[in-house]
Amino acid sequence: MSDVSSDGVLKGVKELSLATRLGMHLGTFIVIIGGWELGSRLGYVNELIMPPPSSIAARLYEMFFITGSIYYHYFVTMFEAVCGFIIGVSIGLSLAIASAISPVFRRYWAPYAVVFNVTPGIAVTPFIIAWFGFGWSSKIALAALVCFFPPFINTLTGLLFIDKDATELFRSLGANKKQYFWKLQIPSALPIIMAGLKLAMTGALIGAIVAEFFSASEGVGILMQRFAFRLNMDGSFAALIVMSLMGLSLFTLMEYLDVKILFWRRHSRMEEVSKKRKAKWSIN
Amino acid sequence: MADEVVIEAKGLSKAFTETVIAVEDAIFQIPKGSFISLVGPSGCGKSTLLRLIAGLIDKTDGNISVRNAEVTGPRKDIGLMFQKAVLLEWRTAIENVLLPNEIRGDVGPEAKQKAWDGLQLVGLKDFEFAFPRQLSGGMQQRVALARLLQTGADIMLLDEPFGALDEFTRERLNVELLRIVDDPEITTIFVTHNITEAIFLADKVFVMTPRPGRIAAMIDINLPKPRTIEMETTPEFNALIKEVRDVLSGHLDGAPL
Repeated sequence: MSDVSSDGVLKGVKELSLATRLGMHLGTFIVIIGGWELGSRLGYVNELIMPPPSSIAARLYEMFFITGSIYYHYFVTMFEAVCGFIIGVSIGLSLAIASAISPVFRRYWAPYAVVFNVTPGIAVTPFIIAWFGFGWSSKIALAALVCFFPPFINTLTGLLFIDKDATELFRSLGANKKQYFWKLQIPSALPIIMAGLKLAMTGALIGAIVAEFFSASEGVGILMQRFAFRLNMDGSFAALIVMSLMGLSLFTLMEYLDVKILFWRRHSRMEEVSKKRKAKWSIN
Repeated sequence: MADEVVIEAKGLSKAFTETVIAVEDAIFQIPKGSFISLVGPSGCGKSTLLRLIAGLIDKTDGNISVRNAEVTGPRKDIGLMFQKAVLLEWRTAIENVLLPNEIRGDVGPEAKQKAWDGLQLVGLKDFEFAFPRQLSGGMQQRVALARLLQTGADIMLLDEPFGALDEFTRERLNVELLRIVDDPEITTIFVTHNITEAIFLADKVFVMTPRPGRIAAMIDINLPKPRTIEMETTPEFNALIKEVRDVLSGHLDGAPL
Protein backbone atom coordinates (compact mmCIF):
# COMPACT_ATOMS: atom_id res chain seq x y z
CA MET A 1 0.00 0.00 0.00
CA SER A 2 2.74 2.40 -0.94
CA ASP A 3 0.13 4.80 -2.30
CA VAL A 4 -1.19 5.47 1.19
CA SER A 5 2.04 6.96 2.45
CA SER A 6 2.79 8.89 -0.72
CA ASP A 7 -0.67 10.44 -0.54
CA GLY A 8 0.47 12.12 2.63
CA VAL A 9 -1.30 10.07 5.28
CA LEU A 10 1.98 9.75 7.10
CA LYS A 11 2.55 13.48 7.28
CA GLY A 12 4.52 13.19 10.52
CA VAL A 13 7.40 11.60 8.65
CA LYS A 14 9.36 14.28 6.82
CA GLU A 15 10.61 13.38 3.36
CA LEU A 16 14.38 13.06 3.64
CA SER A 17 16.94 12.25 0.99
CA LEU A 18 17.52 8.58 0.18
CA ALA A 19 21.03 8.64 1.67
CA THR A 20 19.79 10.13 4.92
CA ARG A 21 16.99 7.59 5.18
CA LEU A 22 19.32 4.67 4.50
CA GLY A 23 21.71 6.06 7.08
CA MET A 24 18.92 6.31 9.65
CA HIS A 25 17.83 2.72 8.99
CA LEU A 26 21.37 1.47 9.25
CA GLY A 27 21.91 3.45 12.44
CA THR A 28 18.80 1.99 14.08
CA PHE A 29 19.83 -1.50 13.04
CA ILE A 30 23.34 -1.09 14.41
CA VAL A 31 22.07 0.28 17.72
CA ILE A 32 19.71 -2.69 18.24
CA ILE A 33 22.06 -5.43 17.06
CA GLY A 34 25.13 -3.78 18.60
CA GLY A 35 23.39 -3.34 21.96
CA TRP A 36 22.31 -6.96 21.92
CA GLU A 37 25.78 -8.18 20.97
CA LEU A 38 27.38 -6.03 23.63
CA GLY A 39 24.93 -7.15 26.33
CA SER A 40 25.73 -10.73 25.45
CA ARG A 41 29.51 -10.26 25.36
CA LEU A 42 29.56 -8.40 28.66
CA GLY A 43 27.56 -11.18 30.30
CA TYR A 44 24.34 -9.25 30.96
CA VAL A 45 22.38 -11.80 28.91
CA ASN A 46 22.77 -15.54 29.39
CA GLU A 47 23.84 -17.11 26.09
CA LEU A 48 21.54 -20.06 26.76
CA ILE A 49 18.58 -17.69 26.75
CA MET A 50 19.63 -15.18 24.11
CA PRO A 51 22.65 -16.03 21.99
CA PRO A 52 24.57 -13.03 20.60
CA PRO A 53 23.71 -11.97 17.03
CA SER A 54 27.21 -12.86 15.87
CA SER A 55 26.80 -16.55 16.71
CA ILE A 56 23.32 -16.62 15.12
CA ALA A 57 24.81 -15.04 12.01
CA ALA A 58 27.65 -17.57 12.03
CA ARG A 59 25.15 -20.40 12.28
CA LEU A 60 23.08 -18.98 9.41
CA TYR A 61 26.19 -18.62 7.29
CA GLU A 62 27.08 -22.22 7.98
CA MET A 63 23.56 -23.45 7.14
CA PHE A 64 23.36 -21.57 3.88
CA PHE A 65 26.92 -21.52 2.57
CA ILE A 66 29.04 -24.23 4.20
CA THR A 67 26.90 -27.31 4.84
CA GLY A 68 23.95 -26.07 2.80
CA SER A 69 21.77 -28.13 5.14
CA ILE A 70 18.98 -25.56 5.30
CA TYR A 71 17.82 -25.66 1.68
CA TYR A 72 16.20 -29.04 1.91
CA HIS A 73 14.24 -28.14 5.05
CA TYR A 74 13.39 -24.75 3.61
CA PHE A 75 11.84 -26.28 0.52
CA VAL A 76 10.04 -29.01 2.46
CA THR A 77 8.28 -26.48 4.67
CA MET A 78 7.62 -24.13 1.77
CA PHE A 79 6.18 -26.98 -0.25
CA GLU A 80 3.88 -28.01 2.60
CA ALA A 81 2.74 -24.44 3.18
CA VAL A 82 2.13 -23.68 -0.50
CA CYS A 83 0.29 -26.97 -1.14
CA GLY A 84 -1.79 -26.39 1.98
CA PHE A 85 -2.47 -22.85 0.79
CA ILE A 86 -3.64 -24.00 -2.62
CA ILE A 87 -5.91 -26.69 -1.19
CA GLY A 88 -7.31 -24.51 1.61
CA VAL A 89 -7.90 -21.57 -0.70
CA SER A 90 -9.58 -23.75 -3.34
CA ILE A 91 -11.98 -25.13 -0.77
CA GLY A 92 -12.58 -21.72 0.79
CA LEU A 93 -13.25 -20.06 -2.58
CA SER A 94 -15.53 -22.85 -3.81
CA LEU A 95 -17.62 -22.84 -0.66
CA ALA A 96 -17.81 -19.04 -0.72
CA ILE A 97 -18.94 -18.97 -4.34
CA ALA A 98 -21.52 -21.69 -3.69
CA SER A 99 -22.77 -19.77 -0.66
CA ALA A 100 -22.93 -16.52 -2.60
CA ILE A 101 -24.87 -18.06 -5.46
CA SER A 102 -27.26 -20.17 -3.43
CA PRO A 103 -28.96 -18.64 -0.38
CA VAL A 104 -30.08 -22.13 0.64
CA PHE A 105 -26.53 -23.41 0.66
CA ARG A 106 -25.47 -20.33 2.58
CA ARG A 107 -28.15 -20.78 5.22
CA TYR A 108 -27.41 -24.41 5.95
CA TRP A 109 -23.66 -24.60 5.43
CA ALA A 110 -22.24 -21.26 6.51
CA PRO A 111 -22.88 -21.93 10.24
CA TYR A 112 -20.58 -24.97 10.05
CA ALA A 113 -17.87 -22.88 8.50
CA VAL A 114 -18.17 -20.43 11.37
CA VAL A 115 -18.03 -23.15 14.04
CA PHE A 116 -15.11 -24.61 12.18
CA ASN A 117 -13.34 -21.28 12.31
CA VAL A 118 -13.90 -20.54 16.00
CA THR A 119 -12.46 -23.94 16.87
CA PRO A 120 -8.70 -23.36 17.15
CA GLY A 121 -7.30 -25.14 14.11
CA ILE A 122 -4.04 -25.88 15.90
CA ALA A 123 -5.95 -27.94 18.48
CA VAL A 124 -6.97 -30.51 15.89
CA THR A 125 -3.35 -31.25 15.00
CA PRO A 126 -3.37 -34.62 16.87
CA PHE A 127 -6.38 -35.75 14.81
CA ILE A 128 -4.77 -34.57 11.61
CA ILE A 129 -1.67 -36.59 12.40
CA ALA A 130 -3.78 -39.62 13.30
CA TRP A 131 -5.60 -39.35 9.98
CA PHE A 132 -2.84 -38.30 7.64
CA GLY A 133 0.20 -39.88 9.23
CA PHE A 134 3.64 -38.48 9.98
CA GLY A 135 4.63 -37.53 6.46
CA TRP A 136 4.07 -34.40 4.40
CA SER A 137 0.36 -34.96 3.97
CA SER A 138 -0.50 -34.15 7.60
CA LYS A 139 1.44 -30.86 7.35
CA ILE A 140 -0.33 -29.97 4.13
CA ALA A 141 -3.67 -30.87 5.69
CA LEU A 142 -3.12 -28.68 8.74
CA ALA A 143 -1.89 -25.80 6.59
CA ALA A 144 -5.01 -26.14 4.43
CA LEU A 145 -7.25 -26.27 7.49
CA VAL A 146 -5.73 -23.19 9.10
CA CYS A 147 -5.84 -21.11 5.92
CA PHE A 148 -9.27 -22.04 4.62
CA PHE A 149 -11.39 -19.57 6.54
CA PRO A 150 -10.06 -16.08 5.61
CA PRO A 151 -10.55 -16.61 1.87
CA PHE A 152 -13.95 -18.17 2.54
CA ILE A 153 -15.36 -15.35 4.64
CA ASN A 154 -13.70 -12.58 2.62
CA THR A 155 -14.87 -13.97 -0.70
CA LEU A 156 -18.39 -14.46 0.59
CA THR A 157 -18.53 -10.92 1.97
CA GLY A 158 -17.05 -9.48 -1.20
CA LEU A 159 -19.49 -11.30 -3.46
CA LEU A 160 -22.54 -10.40 -1.40
CA PHE A 161 -21.92 -6.72 -0.73
CA ILE A 162 -22.12 -5.28 -4.20
CA ASP A 163 -22.87 -1.62 -4.77
CA LYS A 164 -26.66 -1.26 -5.00
CA ASP A 165 -26.55 1.17 -7.92
CA ALA A 166 -24.21 -1.11 -9.85
CA THR A 167 -26.67 -3.96 -9.33
CA GLU A 168 -29.49 -1.77 -10.65
CA LEU A 169 -27.36 -0.77 -13.61
CA PHE A 170 -26.73 -4.41 -14.50
CA ARG A 171 -30.41 -5.23 -14.09
CA SER A 172 -31.47 -2.32 -16.25
CA LEU A 173 -29.02 -3.45 -18.94
CA GLY A 174 -30.64 -6.88 -18.86
CA ALA A 175 -27.56 -8.75 -17.59
CA ASN A 176 -28.00 -12.44 -16.78
CA LYS A 177 -26.63 -14.09 -13.64
CA LYS A 178 -23.45 -15.25 -15.32
CA GLN A 179 -22.64 -11.76 -16.62
CA TYR A 180 -23.47 -10.26 -13.24
CA PHE A 181 -21.13 -12.73 -11.58
CA TRP A 182 -18.14 -12.37 -13.91
CA LYS A 183 -18.42 -8.73 -14.89
CA LEU A 184 -19.48 -7.24 -11.56
CA GLN A 185 -19.37 -9.54 -8.53
CA ILE A 186 -15.94 -11.08 -9.03
CA PRO A 187 -14.02 -7.92 -9.96
CA SER A 188 -15.75 -5.92 -7.19
CA ALA A 189 -14.81 -8.60 -4.67
CA LEU A 190 -11.20 -9.01 -5.82
CA PRO A 191 -9.61 -6.54 -3.39
CA ILE A 192 -11.19 -8.18 -0.35
CA ILE A 193 -10.50 -11.66 -1.75
CA MET A 194 -6.83 -10.72 -2.12
CA ALA A 195 -6.78 -9.52 1.49
CA GLY A 196 -8.13 -12.94 2.50
CA LEU A 197 -5.46 -14.70 0.46
CA LYS A 198 -2.72 -12.73 2.20
CA LEU A 199 -4.03 -13.82 5.60
CA ALA A 200 -4.28 -17.39 4.31
CA MET A 201 -0.66 -17.36 3.18
CA THR A 202 0.55 -16.53 6.69
CA GLY A 203 -1.88 -19.08 8.12
CA ALA A 204 -0.60 -21.82 5.85
CA LEU A 205 2.97 -21.27 6.99
CA ILE A 206 1.90 -21.40 10.65
CA GLY A 207 -0.08 -24.59 10.00
CA ALA A 208 2.84 -26.33 8.30
CA ILE A 209 5.31 -25.38 11.03
CA VAL A 210 3.00 -26.32 13.92
CA ALA A 211 2.34 -29.71 12.33
CA GLU A 212 6.08 -30.18 12.07
CA PHE A 213 6.46 -29.37 15.76
CA PHE A 214 4.13 -32.29 16.54
CA SER A 215 5.91 -34.88 14.49
CA ALA A 216 8.13 -34.65 11.47
CA SER A 217 11.46 -35.78 10.18
CA GLU A 218 12.12 -32.85 7.90
CA GLY A 219 11.25 -29.17 7.63
CA VAL A 220 12.31 -25.95 9.33
CA GLY A 221 9.87 -26.50 12.22
CA ILE A 222 11.38 -29.81 13.27
CA LEU A 223 14.87 -28.42 12.70
CA MET A 224 14.20 -25.62 15.14
CA GLN A 225 12.75 -28.00 17.68
CA ARG A 226 15.76 -30.31 17.49
CA PHE A 227 18.10 -27.40 18.10
CA ALA A 228 15.98 -26.21 21.03
CA PHE A 229 15.89 -29.67 22.66
CA ARG A 230 19.68 -29.76 22.49
CA LEU A 231 19.81 -26.26 24.01
CA ASN A 232 21.48 -25.16 20.79
CA MET A 233 20.06 -21.66 21.02
CA ASP A 234 21.97 -20.07 18.14
CA GLY A 235 20.71 -22.86 15.87
CA SER A 236 17.16 -22.32 17.10
CA PHE A 237 17.34 -18.61 16.48
CA ALA A 238 18.83 -19.21 13.07
CA ALA A 239 15.87 -21.48 12.25
CA LEU A 240 13.51 -18.76 13.48
CA ILE A 241 15.14 -16.25 11.15
CA VAL A 242 14.76 -18.73 8.30
CA MET A 243 11.03 -18.88 9.12
CA SER A 244 10.89 -15.09 8.94
CA LEU A 245 12.56 -15.28 5.56
CA MET A 246 9.98 -17.79 4.40
CA GLY A 247 7.16 -15.59 5.64
CA LEU A 248 8.75 -12.61 3.97
CA SER A 249 9.16 -14.35 0.62
CA LEU A 250 5.54 -15.54 0.66
CA PHE A 251 4.38 -12.08 1.67
CA THR A 252 6.41 -10.48 -1.11
CA LEU A 253 4.91 -12.90 -3.61
CA MET A 254 1.39 -11.97 -2.47
CA GLU A 255 2.17 -8.26 -2.61
CA TYR A 256 3.46 -8.73 -6.13
CA LEU A 257 0.26 -10.49 -7.16
CA ASP A 258 -1.76 -7.80 -5.42
CA VAL A 259 -0.06 -5.05 -7.42
CA LYS A 260 -0.41 -7.04 -10.64
CA ILE A 261 -4.06 -7.99 -10.23
CA LEU A 262 -5.51 -4.96 -8.46
CA PHE A 263 -3.98 -2.44 -10.84
CA TRP A 264 -6.88 -0.02 -10.42
CA ARG A 265 -5.95 0.62 -6.81
CA ARG A 266 -2.62 2.26 -7.63
CA HIS A 267 -2.09 5.32 -9.77
CA SER A 268 1.24 4.30 -11.24
CA ARG A 269 -0.14 0.90 -12.29
CA MET A 270 -3.29 2.48 -13.74
CA GLU A 271 -1.18 4.63 -16.03
CA GLU A 272 0.75 1.56 -17.18
CA VAL A 273 -2.35 -0.53 -17.87
CA SER A 274 -4.09 2.43 -19.49
CA LYS A 275 -1.23 2.73 -22.00
CA LYS A 276 -1.35 -1.00 -22.73
CA ARG A 277 -5.09 -0.96 -23.36
CA LYS A 278 -4.70 2.05 -25.61
CA ALA A 279 -2.05 0.23 -27.64
CA LYS A 280 -4.29 -2.82 -27.94
CA TRP A 281 -7.37 -0.86 -29.03
CA SER A 282 -8.67 -1.29 -32.52
CA ILE A 283 -12.09 -0.66 -33.91
CA ASN A 284 -12.19 -4.09 -35.55
CA MET B 1 -43.72 17.76 -30.95
CA ALA B 2 -45.90 14.77 -31.62
CA ASP B 3 -48.38 13.98 -28.94
CA GLU B 4 -47.72 10.26 -28.95
CA VAL B 5 -47.74 9.09 -25.33
CA VAL B 6 -44.70 6.98 -24.34
CA ILE B 7 -45.19 6.64 -20.61
CA GLU B 8 -48.53 6.46 -18.89
CA ALA B 9 -49.40 5.97 -15.21
CA LYS B 10 -52.88 5.42 -13.79
CA GLY B 11 -53.38 5.30 -10.05
CA LEU B 12 -49.80 4.06 -9.74
CA SER B 13 -48.86 3.32 -6.12
CA LYS B 14 -45.97 1.80 -4.24
CA ALA B 15 -46.10 1.09 -0.53
CA PHE B 16 -43.09 -0.42 1.22
CA THR B 17 -45.15 -1.09 4.36
CA GLU B 18 -48.71 -0.13 5.27
CA THR B 19 -47.55 3.22 6.60
CA VAL B 20 -44.62 3.93 4.30
CA ILE B 21 -46.28 4.93 1.06
CA ALA B 22 -43.55 6.07 -1.32
CA VAL B 23 -45.81 6.80 -4.27
CA GLU B 24 -49.57 7.24 -4.08
CA ASP B 25 -52.02 7.44 -6.93
CA ALA B 26 -49.71 8.85 -9.59
CA ILE B 27 -51.57 9.77 -12.78
CA PHE B 28 -49.72 11.20 -15.75
CA GLN B 29 -49.01 10.89 -19.45
CA ILE B 30 -45.63 11.72 -20.88
CA PRO B 31 -45.49 12.57 -24.59
CA LYS B 32 -42.65 11.39 -26.80
CA GLY B 33 -39.69 13.72 -27.02
CA SER B 34 -40.49 15.67 -23.88
CA PHE B 35 -38.27 16.48 -20.94
CA ILE B 36 -39.91 16.06 -17.54
CA SER B 37 -38.34 17.18 -14.28
CA LEU B 38 -39.45 15.45 -11.12
CA VAL B 39 -38.76 17.82 -8.24
CA GLY B 40 -39.39 17.49 -4.53
CA PRO B 41 -37.70 17.21 -1.14
CA SER B 42 -35.73 14.15 -0.06
CA GLY B 43 -37.89 11.14 0.67
CA CYS B 44 -40.87 12.28 -1.43
CA GLY B 45 -40.77 9.17 -3.60
CA LYS B 46 -39.15 10.66 -6.72
CA SER B 47 -36.59 7.89 -7.01
CA THR B 48 -39.20 5.25 -6.28
CA LEU B 49 -41.39 6.60 -9.08
CA LEU B 50 -38.41 6.51 -11.43
CA ARG B 51 -37.64 2.90 -10.49
CA LEU B 52 -41.26 1.93 -11.06
CA ILE B 53 -41.05 3.30 -14.60
CA ALA B 54 -37.70 1.55 -15.11
CA GLY B 55 -39.22 -1.77 -14.05
CA LEU B 56 -36.66 -2.19 -11.28
CA ILE B 57 -39.28 -2.48 -8.54
CA ASP B 58 -42.85 -3.74 -8.54
CA LYS B 59 -45.84 -1.47 -8.00
CA THR B 60 -48.38 -2.27 -5.30
CA ASP B 61 -51.35 -0.81 -7.14
CA GLY B 62 -52.45 0.88 -10.35
CA ASN B 63 -50.87 0.82 -13.77
CA ILE B 64 -47.64 1.88 -15.37
CA SER B 65 -47.12 1.33 -19.06
CA VAL B 66 -44.46 2.23 -21.59
CA ARG B 67 -45.49 2.31 -25.25
CA ASN B 68 -48.85 0.83 -24.27
CA ALA B 69 -47.26 -2.20 -22.65
CA GLU B 70 -47.43 -2.85 -18.93
CA VAL B 71 -43.98 -2.52 -17.32
CA THR B 72 -43.00 -5.87 -15.84
CA GLY B 73 -39.22 -5.57 -15.75
CA PRO B 74 -36.27 -3.70 -17.23
CA ARG B 75 -36.72 -2.74 -20.89
CA LYS B 76 -34.21 -2.20 -23.66
CA ASP B 77 -35.65 1.19 -24.59
CA ILE B 78 -35.15 2.55 -21.07
CA GLY B 79 -31.73 3.72 -19.88
CA LEU B 80 -30.75 4.84 -16.39
CA MET B 81 -28.27 7.21 -14.86
CA PHE B 82 -27.63 7.70 -11.15
CA GLN B 83 -26.24 10.30 -8.78
CA LYS B 84 -23.09 8.20 -8.63
CA ALA B 85 -21.47 7.48 -11.98
CA VAL B 86 -21.42 3.73 -11.15
CA LEU B 87 -18.43 3.05 -13.35
CA LEU B 88 -16.52 -0.21 -13.11
CA GLU B 89 -13.15 0.84 -11.71
CA TRP B 90 -11.22 -1.90 -13.49
CA ARG B 91 -12.40 -0.76 -16.92
CA THR B 92 -11.20 2.20 -18.93
CA ALA B 93 -13.72 4.87 -19.91
CA ILE B 94 -14.36 3.31 -23.29
CA GLU B 95 -14.66 -0.19 -21.82
CA ASN B 96 -17.26 1.19 -19.43
CA VAL B 97 -19.17 2.71 -22.32
CA LEU B 98 -19.07 -0.64 -24.11
CA LEU B 99 -20.59 -2.50 -21.15
CA PRO B 100 -24.16 -2.40 -22.53
CA ASN B 101 -22.93 -3.97 -25.78
CA GLU B 102 -20.97 -6.63 -23.96
CA ILE B 103 -24.04 -7.60 -22.00
CA ARG B 104 -26.04 -7.86 -25.19
CA GLY B 105 -23.18 -9.70 -26.86
CA ASP B 106 -22.59 -7.35 -29.79
CA VAL B 107 -19.18 -5.75 -29.39
CA GLY B 108 -18.45 -5.24 -33.07
CA PRO B 109 -16.74 -2.43 -34.97
CA GLU B 110 -20.00 -0.50 -35.06
CA ALA B 111 -20.44 -0.59 -31.30
CA LYS B 112 -16.82 0.41 -30.79
CA GLN B 113 -17.13 3.32 -33.21
CA LYS B 114 -20.30 4.44 -31.44
CA ALA B 115 -18.60 4.28 -28.03
CA TRP B 116 -15.68 6.31 -29.38
CA ASP B 117 -18.01 8.91 -30.88
CA GLY B 118 -20.07 8.96 -27.68
CA LEU B 119 -17.03 9.89 -25.61
CA GLN B 120 -16.19 12.71 -28.05
CA LEU B 121 -19.79 13.90 -27.83
CA VAL B 122 -19.69 14.18 -24.03
CA GLY B 123 -16.37 16.05 -24.25
CA LEU B 124 -13.97 13.27 -23.22
CA LYS B 125 -11.65 13.30 -26.20
CA ASP B 126 -8.23 11.96 -25.12
CA PHE B 127 -9.69 10.32 -22.00
CA GLU B 128 -10.93 7.17 -23.75
CA PHE B 129 -8.43 4.95 -21.96
CA ALA B 130 -8.43 6.63 -18.56
CA PHE B 131 -9.63 4.62 -15.60
CA PRO B 132 -12.48 6.05 -13.49
CA ARG B 133 -10.14 6.88 -10.61
CA GLN B 134 -8.08 9.03 -12.95
CA LEU B 135 -11.15 11.15 -13.78
CA SER B 136 -12.84 13.95 -11.84
CA GLY B 137 -16.41 13.54 -10.61
CA GLY B 138 -17.78 15.56 -13.52
CA MET B 139 -15.83 13.53 -16.05
CA GLN B 140 -17.04 10.30 -14.49
CA GLN B 141 -20.62 11.46 -14.97
CA ARG B 142 -19.80 12.25 -18.59
CA VAL B 143 -18.66 8.65 -19.04
CA ALA B 144 -21.92 7.49 -17.43
CA LEU B 145 -23.84 9.69 -19.87
CA ALA B 146 -21.93 8.21 -22.81
CA ARG B 147 -22.75 4.73 -21.52
CA LEU B 148 -26.43 5.70 -21.30
CA LEU B 149 -26.35 6.94 -24.92
CA GLN B 150 -24.60 3.73 -25.92
CA THR B 151 -27.58 1.64 -24.78
CA GLY B 152 -29.56 3.20 -27.61
CA ALA B 153 -32.45 3.71 -25.19
CA ASP B 154 -34.79 6.52 -26.19
CA ILE B 155 -36.31 6.87 -22.73
CA MET B 156 -33.76 8.26 -20.31
CA LEU B 157 -34.36 8.16 -16.59
CA LEU B 158 -31.89 10.31 -14.70
CA ASP B 159 -31.80 10.17 -10.91
CA GLU B 160 -30.10 13.37 -9.68
CA PRO B 161 -27.27 12.68 -12.12
CA PHE B 162 -25.27 15.78 -11.30
CA GLY B 163 -26.37 16.12 -7.67
CA ALA B 164 -22.97 15.32 -6.21
CA LEU B 165 -21.09 17.81 -8.39
CA ASP B 166 -20.21 21.41 -7.70
CA GLU B 167 -22.51 24.17 -8.96
CA PHE B 168 -20.34 25.22 -11.94
CA THR B 169 -19.80 21.70 -13.25
CA ARG B 170 -23.47 20.96 -12.78
CA GLU B 171 -24.57 24.00 -14.79
CA ARG B 172 -22.25 23.12 -17.65
CA LEU B 173 -23.33 19.50 -17.70
CA ASN B 174 -26.99 20.53 -17.67
CA VAL B 175 -26.49 22.67 -20.75
CA GLU B 176 -24.67 19.82 -22.48
CA LEU B 177 -27.33 17.33 -21.44
CA LEU B 178 -30.00 19.50 -23.07
CA ARG B 179 -27.97 19.66 -26.26
CA ILE B 180 -27.64 15.87 -26.31
CA VAL B 181 -31.25 14.93 -25.53
CA ASP B 182 -32.70 17.66 -27.77
CA ASP B 183 -34.07 15.03 -30.12
CA PRO B 184 -37.77 14.50 -30.85
CA GLU B 185 -37.24 10.77 -30.35
CA ILE B 186 -35.73 11.01 -26.86
CA THR B 187 -37.96 11.26 -23.80
CA THR B 188 -36.27 12.23 -20.56
CA ILE B 189 -37.28 12.14 -16.92
CA PHE B 190 -34.92 14.00 -14.64
CA VAL B 191 -35.16 13.66 -10.86
CA THR B 192 -33.78 16.50 -8.76
CA HIS B 193 -34.36 18.40 -5.54
CA ASN B 194 -33.03 21.58 -7.07
CA ILE B 195 -35.95 23.76 -8.23
CA THR B 196 -33.88 26.01 -10.51
CA GLU B 197 -32.33 23.03 -12.25
CA ALA B 198 -35.74 21.37 -12.63
CA ILE B 199 -37.23 24.40 -14.37
CA PHE B 200 -34.15 25.17 -16.43
CA LEU B 201 -34.18 21.73 -18.06
CA ALA B 202 -37.79 20.80 -18.44
CA ASP B 203 -40.77 21.12 -20.70
CA LYS B 204 -42.88 20.20 -17.72
CA VAL B 205 -42.12 19.98 -13.98
CA PHE B 206 -43.84 17.40 -11.78
CA VAL B 207 -43.78 18.66 -8.20
CA MET B 208 -43.79 15.86 -5.66
CA THR B 209 -44.64 16.14 -1.96
CA PRO B 210 -43.81 13.55 0.68
CA ARG B 211 -45.75 11.31 3.09
CA PRO B 212 -47.42 9.93 1.12
CA GLY B 213 -45.47 10.60 -2.09
CA ARG B 214 -47.83 12.42 -4.43
CA ILE B 215 -47.50 14.45 -7.56
CA ALA B 216 -48.97 17.67 -6.20
CA ALA B 217 -48.70 19.74 -9.37
CA MET B 218 -47.63 19.58 -13.01
CA ILE B 219 -46.32 22.89 -14.25
CA ASP B 220 -45.70 23.62 -17.93
CA ILE B 221 -42.45 25.43 -18.62
CA ASN B 222 -42.92 27.58 -21.67
CA LEU B 223 -39.49 29.20 -21.72
CA PRO B 224 -37.90 29.48 -25.16
CA LYS B 225 -35.37 26.93 -26.38
CA PRO B 226 -32.46 26.44 -26.43
CA ARG B 227 -32.23 27.35 -22.78
CA THR B 228 -29.38 29.51 -21.54
CA ILE B 229 -28.06 30.13 -18.05
CA GLU B 230 -29.03 33.83 -18.39
CA MET B 231 -32.71 32.86 -18.45
CA GLU B 232 -32.46 31.91 -14.80
CA THR B 233 -32.53 35.60 -13.82
CA THR B 234 -35.57 36.59 -15.88
CA PRO B 235 -38.89 37.50 -14.19
CA GLU B 236 -40.61 34.60 -15.99
CA PHE B 237 -38.14 32.15 -14.51
CA ASN B 238 -38.57 33.60 -11.03
CA ALA B 239 -42.32 33.40 -11.35
CA LEU B 240 -41.97 29.70 -12.13
CA ILE B 241 -39.70 29.16 -9.13
CA LYS B 242 -42.30 30.86 -6.94
CA GLU B 243 -45.02 28.66 -8.39
CA VAL B 244 -43.09 25.49 -7.52
CA ARG B 245 -42.20 26.80 -4.08
CA ASP B 246 -45.82 27.65 -3.35
CA VAL B 247 -46.87 24.08 -4.13
CA LEU B 248 -44.16 22.67 -1.89
CA SER B 249 -44.63 25.08 1.02
CA GLY B 250 -48.41 24.77 0.87
CA HIS B 251 -47.91 21.12 1.52
CA LEU B 252 -44.99 21.30 3.89
CA ASP B 253 -46.35 23.97 6.28
CA GLY B 254 -46.92 22.36 9.61
CA ALA B 255 -45.70 18.98 8.40
CA PRO B 256 -43.08 17.27 10.54
CA LEU B 257 -39.63 17.44 9.01
